[in-house]
Amino acid sequence: MIEVVNLHKSFGDLKVLKGVNTKIKKQEVVCVIGASGSGKSTFLRCLNLLEEPDEGEIYIDGISLLEHKKDINRLRQKVGMVFQQFNLFPHMTVMENITLAPIKLKGMTKSQAEEKAMELLHKVGLPDKNDQYPNHLSGGQKQRVAIARALAMDPEIMLFDEPTSALDPEMVGEVLNVMKQLANEGMTMVVVTHEMGFAREVGNRIMFMDEGIIFDEGPHEQRFINPQKERTREFLDKVL
Amino acid sequence: MNSIIKVLSDAIYYNLIREQRYMLFVQGLGISLQLTFYSAIIGTILGLFLALAKLSKIKIFERLATIYVDVIRGTPVVVQLVIIYYAILGSSSLPKIAVASIAFGLNSGAYVCELIRAGIMAVDKGQMEAARSLGFSYSQAMAYIIIPQAIKNILPALVNEFIVLLKETAIAGYIALDDLTRAGNIIRGRTFDAYTPFILVAAIYLYITTILTWLLGKLERRLHESD
Repeated sequence: MIEVVNLHKSFGDLKVLKGVNTKIKKQEVVCVIGASGSGKSTFLRCLNLLEEPDEGEIYIDGISLLEHKKDINRLRQKVGMVFQQFNLFPHMTVMENITLAPIKLKGMTKSQAEEKAMELLHKVGLPDKNDQYPNHLSGGQKQRVAIARALAMDPEIMLFDEPTSALDPEMVGEVLNVMKQLANEGMTMVVVTHEMGFAREVGNRIMFMDEGIIFDEGPHEQRFINPQKERTREFLDKVL
Repeated sequence: MNSIIKVLSDAIYYNLIREQRYMLFVQGLGISLQLTFYSAIIGTILGLFLALAKLSKIKIFERLATIYVDVIRGTPVVVQLVIIYYAILGSSSLPKIAVASIAFGLNSGAYVCELIRAGIMAVDKGQMEAARSLGFSYSQAMAYIIIPQAIKNILPALVNEFIVLLKETAIAGYIALDDLTRAGNIIRGRTFDAYTPFILVAAIYLYITTILTWLLGKLERRLHESD
């Protein structure tokens, strides 16, 4: 479903990605872990071209993203993204946040989009928040709305960029539960996270990134990383 | 006591009543307000385009807009006014108020450009990323997500710019346009009294700017209601 070949990305003189190669299968849940500065967020942001790679190729369903930059807006509709800082639109209600893209980009009518939005709000457990503004929600609620907003475009893949890192500890669970449910429904997910418990329980595969490459990987069957290398062991000792 | 009343009533009579001189103030105020209104419209539209040019990825637009803003902000508005009136539009048959509106509008545009640019830049960059990740194009993201939020940052500063503009139009007399300040000067010429007409002129400006400032305060409170 996603194939990444020899991905390189620099910011000025700083080389962040130094040749990332991986394949992500349909319905797979891949958790990306690693120290800050290891390139994991940059890798994730390359997958929907929020960052443009300097070198390498990204294929989604066999279509090269970099060769189809003109169609990027259409291709991005297939890839939902959830951000650390939520990035809800503060001037719109929860309902408007969720329905804006389906109405403007998919040509849904307002009532179709709202019906779908209500379904999604039920799914993330916030059916009564539809007419609230984001500033009146807690962090956990904001993130659940952000997930619903991304799902409203019927994406084939969901990218999560440290979705629980900006949350108070007591709100982490509610967001992880929604993500777990999504994984159980068969959504293809790439999750950059520090939540090792979640990674272990939900992730089909764990990628450990270091120094701009995928340094170590726990295979599908194992469901958890088997620290083959010293660096991975050190990192896991620190976070567990 | 009687002499004070006599001085005041004389001042009012000679500066306002005689020859219906108050009409000069009324007409002058009308000109000042019209001039402010037209130049505010020109300045806002020009400023919006300049701001978009400055934020544009197309280098030539960005360069041209930057040069324009630097030239306008680096030279006195009164010099710009006389250059446009005597040199650039000297041979045209446009009415003076139109020429002055263009001059003040071109000047204000440079300042409005910076207000709008700052207002857009102040919107968190995650908003653009979230919009793009949903599949919106850059211009759709600007229209639906960024500009509606930027307006909240821009509107109060824009009203403030209009207040500044009203006061700046006081130099329109340089091209013999009979605005409020020049009305005061005409009356001074007839009555040989410098105090009364100019203090009246100042009071009228103060009155109008106070109203605008009050409206600005109301507007700011309205805009922050959804926070």
